[in-house]
Amino acid sequence: MIRFEDVSQRYGEVQAVRGVTFGVPSGVLCVLLGESGSGKSTLLRMVNRLIEPSGGRVLLQGQDVAGIDPQILRRGIGYVIQSVGLFPHRSVAENVATVPRLLGWDAARIAARVDKLLAMVGLEPGEYRARRPATLSGGQAQRVGLARALAADPPVLLMDEPFSALDPATRRGLQAELRRIHANMGKTILLVTHDVEEALALADRIAVMEAGRLVAEGPPLAVLGWETPASVRRMLGAETLAFHRLSALRAEDFALPGFAPGAPLLAAGGTMRDALLLMLTHGTDRAALAGEAARHLPLSAILAAP
Amino acid sequence: MRRAHALALTPLALMAMLAPWWLGWIAVAPNRLLSPRLAALPDTEPVTLAWAAFHVACLALLLAAWLPHRRRFEEVAAVAAMLALVATLGLGASAALPEGAPLARAAPAAGAWVALLVLALATAVAATLRGGTPTIPLLAAVVGTGLLGWAGLLDSLSLVREATGRAAELRAALGGHLFLSTSALLLALVVALPLSVLALARPGVEAGFLGAASGVQVIPSIALFGLLIAPLAALASSFPALREMGLGGIGPAPAVIGIAAYLLLPLGRGLLAGLRVAPADLLEAARGQGLSPRQVLWGVRVPLGAGVMLGALRLAAVQAVGLATLAALVGGGGLGTIVFQGVGQLASDLILLGVLPILALSLAADAALAALSRLLPSAA
Repeated sequence: MIRFEDVSQRYGEVQAVRGVTFGVPSGVLCVLLGESGSGKSTLLRMVNRLIEPSGGRVLLQGQDVAGIDPQILRRGIGYVIQSVGLFPHRSVAENVATVPRLLGWDAARIAARVDKLLAMVGLEPGEYRARRPATLSGGQAQRVGLARALAADPPVLLMDEPFSALDPATRRGLQAELRRIHANMGKTILLVTHDVEEALALADRIAVMEAGRLVAEGPPLAVLGWETPASVRRMLGAETLAFHRLSALRAEDFALPGFAPGAPLLAAGGTMRDALLLMLTHGTDRAALAGEAARHLPLSAILAAP
Repeated sequence: MRRAHALALTPLALMAMLAPWWLGWIAVAPNRLLSPRLAALPDTEPVTLAWAAFHVACLALLLAAWLPHRRRFEEVAAVAAMLALVATLGLGASAALPEGAPLARAAPAAGAWVALLVLALATAVAATLRGGTPTIPLLAAVVGTGLLGWAGLLDSLSLVREATGRAAELRAALGGHLFLSTSALLLALVVALPLSVLALARPGVEAGFLGAASGVQVIPSIALFGLLIAPLAALASSFPALREMGLGGIGPAPAVIGIAAYLLLPLGRGLLAGLRVAPADLLEAARGQGLSPRQVLWGVRVPLGAGVMLGALRLAAVQAVGLATLAALVGGGGLGTIVFQGVGQLASDLILLGVLPILALSLAADAALAALSRLLPSAA
């Protein structure tokens, strides 16, 4: 769907992106992970031509984006940024309707689409349609930003640190919302973040950037598992990596049948990391799993996890 | 809070009451060329009633300043005092003019002028302390004075006589003044708007444009109008079509161009500041949604900066009305014609006859554009 071919970018003396090549398959949520200044935002903004690469090319559905009129290209790509960038002088509904209006949809179709999208991002249309962005909380504003990006049903979504400015609880809520929307709509999403936890919570694939280079790319476990490249390990730190790897694994995939008398109960959908924390808190060597059949997870399963 | 009202308004009310007794109510001259002498306020019944009403209104203002919670009462009292004073002057003038002396002139004396100014100041102070603007009460005072004049109460004041004698000339000058200031404002806008938009992306254009606009400010206005005469005259003689359109070395053309040149700086600065109100991340979001540069300009930059830009337009409009006075010096017409005639003849009534409409025009332009900016939707 999206393909970077030997893409480079230099600003004067500074080489922001150096010969990056990788692809994002259709329907995949790919997280571009890296510290600030690693070139990940620059790479993202080359897809909708807010930045033109100084070398290499970016392909969208096999077509070089350099050959597509930037305005037409951007109307076909959803774009969400950290500061949201809602138009303060327009209502929530008008903000969401931005791209459909540019595409010349009729009023009835736009109104129906706006209501559907507001409901999808968890905002009651009747209550929020006429509100001004200034009256929204940070989380609500970013929900509107997400609805605006999805308004014209673009196949591709670019998200630049979309949840970084939000408080942790709101961030987790919106991450879950994004996962759900991604699962339902099957969009191809390229999301930039510096937050490893967020990357693990969202990603189908992770691309790690460091100093303008792509240092690792693949499914989360391959990138953050035992085979993690040395440069990524250096960047993330050993204990961070170990815990993050555990939080990418679901506890029930490693559970054994049978009761574990006296063991603390792990909530449904818990990860291996949650299970380890539970055992550390209660001083036990096993945790019971919620569910119909009796199952438990011993400490040895965590130590043996891939 | 009430203390502030009392402290500010008490001396003003007292000064307004005492100034006419001390510095004189009206002055009478045998004709318009001789200097006027202070005249006693005639002892007729209407005149006595009028000045009594003036004092009652001043006392009401004083009282209102000391009483708690009298919303707008102070402003009402001050406006009433102004109107009673104007009526006193009109009635006094008609009673003070000697019988059978058609050339004799009666005008407000220094004390009356001081009282009027002090009352206007008191209105503004009261409005500001209330947290509002004095536009409505001052407008009421102007309209009330107009009504008194319309009722014939002010016919004996030399200013009104001058105005009735020169009604046609005054109308023409007012029309000319409006034409000069609006065409200069439009011309400046036509030049400044595209240059400001260009300057957004090109720092070189900004430096050149604002540098040139600032440079114009150091040339004295009369000199600039004069400097324009020669090139415009040459232009008109080489292109007769331009001359037929009214372009020439003297007349409105150099004045309009000269005034517009002065307006470029306030207008250009304000427009640029307005166009820069929209923050960078909002512009990035707009571009990222696929808005064209034109849609970003009209859909995002202009609506968000409209308040700042209207403020600049307001400043420029007031400046245009003031500068248009000097157009008379290059034969451009306008109210300046009357002002400079008055200066030449040392006739203060004539000067006032030109200056008062200029004041009214700039107040009206300012109030109209302020009202327009209140109509703008706010982000909140």
